[in-house]
Amino acid sequence: MINTKRKFLEEPDLILALQERKKIGADALYEMYSGSLMGIVQRVIEDKEIAEDVLQEGLIKIWNGIQQYDPTKGRLFTWMVNVMRNLAIDKVRSKDYRNHSKNQDIENHVNSIDERRNSEYKPEHLGVKDLLQKLRPEQKVIVDMIYFQGFTHVEVSDELAIPLGTVKTRLRMGIIELRKYFK
Amino acid sequence: MNYVNILNKLENIKSYIESGILELYVLGDLNADERSEVEAMSKLHSEVRDELEQIEIDLGNIAESLQVMPSDNVREGFFNSIKFSDEEIINPIASKQEAKVVSITQKPTNFYKYAFAASLALLVVSIIALVNVNNSLNNTKQQIIALQSSNQNFANRVNYLNQEVTKTTSALDIYSNTDYKMVKLDGTDNAKGAKIMVAFNSKMQKVGLDMKSMNMPKNDSEHQYQLWALVDGKPVDLGVFDMDGNQIGFKEMKNIGQAQTFAVTLEPRGGSVNPTLEKLMVIGNI
Repeated sequence: MINTKRKFLEEPDLILALQERKKIGADALYEMYSGSLMGIVQRVIEDKEIAEDVLQEGLIKIWNGIQQYDPTKGRLFTWMVNVMRNLAIDKVRSKDYRNHSKNQDIENHVNSIDERRNSEYKPEHLGVKDLLQKLRPEQKVIVDMIYFQGFTHVEVSDELAIPLGTVKTRLRMGIIELRKYFK
Repeated sequence: MNYVNILNKLENIKSYIESGILELYVLGDLNADERSEVEAMSKLHSEVRDELEQIEIDLGNIAESLQVMPSDNVREGFFNSIKFSDEEIINPIASKQEAKVVSITQKPTNFYKYAFAASLALLVVSIIALVNVNNSLNNTKQQIIALQSSNQNFANRVNYLNQEVTKTTSALDIYSNTDYKMVKLDGTDNAKGAKIMVAFNSKMQKVGLDMKSMNMPKNDSEHQYQLWALVDGKPVDLGVFDMDGNQIGFKEMKNIGQAQTFAVTLEPRGGSVNPTLEKLMVIGNI
């Protein structure tokens, strides 16, 4: 998966390059993370063009907002993922998107969770499919909704009528399972 | 702190970690209070810190396994929208487009600007050229006038010399012609030292005065000298002449066939019918 031709910087160097507005920072940011961030965005927004618009907007936001990133509170990539997810979720929930897209809006989406759990589970990417097959069904839906589709744990708890604590522990168990897969 | 307390504490940290709150923290799915709590726990307990780090690594791994390569126009759009501190030109395509826009909108403006400047320059050059041509035309005109004038002077001079030559030649002819008799008239008391040579050709009835050798007082504008011939004692008018000192050659007078004496009197301008003897100047016998 890792392209050897990519421009690669160690995280502290990348952060410095971004803070100093160096071109190599933008190059490395794009080469190292555009694919992963696109994957994140597209789990929330199925339409590729809209997802790419959001990705571009998110990259610009990361570039311009790098001063807001606090290295003491976590990795750069985690911060970038959250910028992207928030942007993607805002987009999905915007009136504009709901009018424009044939996709179900967030409420309908959540209401159809039960159906989705049984029959509409169609992860498009081999990686996701492989990943989620490692999980038990009750973990699978929660990891997918929270990690991949951007729902909050409160939304998931409401919609699936599962206590918040249970949502959190199932999410955790799922992540532990995936961690084994990566090791 | 006893063993049980330590165990309890470890148990508490373990259950805190396993509550799943750290995953939500990493995903940004917590409110401000919960976030502060996680950050405080992370500072206090390395187990929490390590687990947070691990969850972040998990997220990275998951995201990497989900990656989808975006199309190239995302890169283009991104690079066109940002500015670098270390490079002037962000993107060759962007600058190309910019150059295109410039060429469309500014070319006419530049064209007229240059055209106007060129016209102005041409006007200035033309005016300078015109002034120069006019000056040299005036110079040429003056030169032509000067040349014409000197040409006229030269012609006059040639004309004058021609007359001199003619007069001198005719004088020479007269002197060398044996038919002429040279009569010398000498000054009276009225004009002592005065002298006139008269050439007389009785055959041709011609009388001439040698103006060059003539030595007479200059006459004023109201008087003229008059030449008389005495024929058998009677004076005959042979014409008037002036003495201004610059004449040459022979001045031809009226014709006469014979005479005994020539005389010159000073008469009112135009001459008189009879000679004024009081004003007899020179006289000589043939």
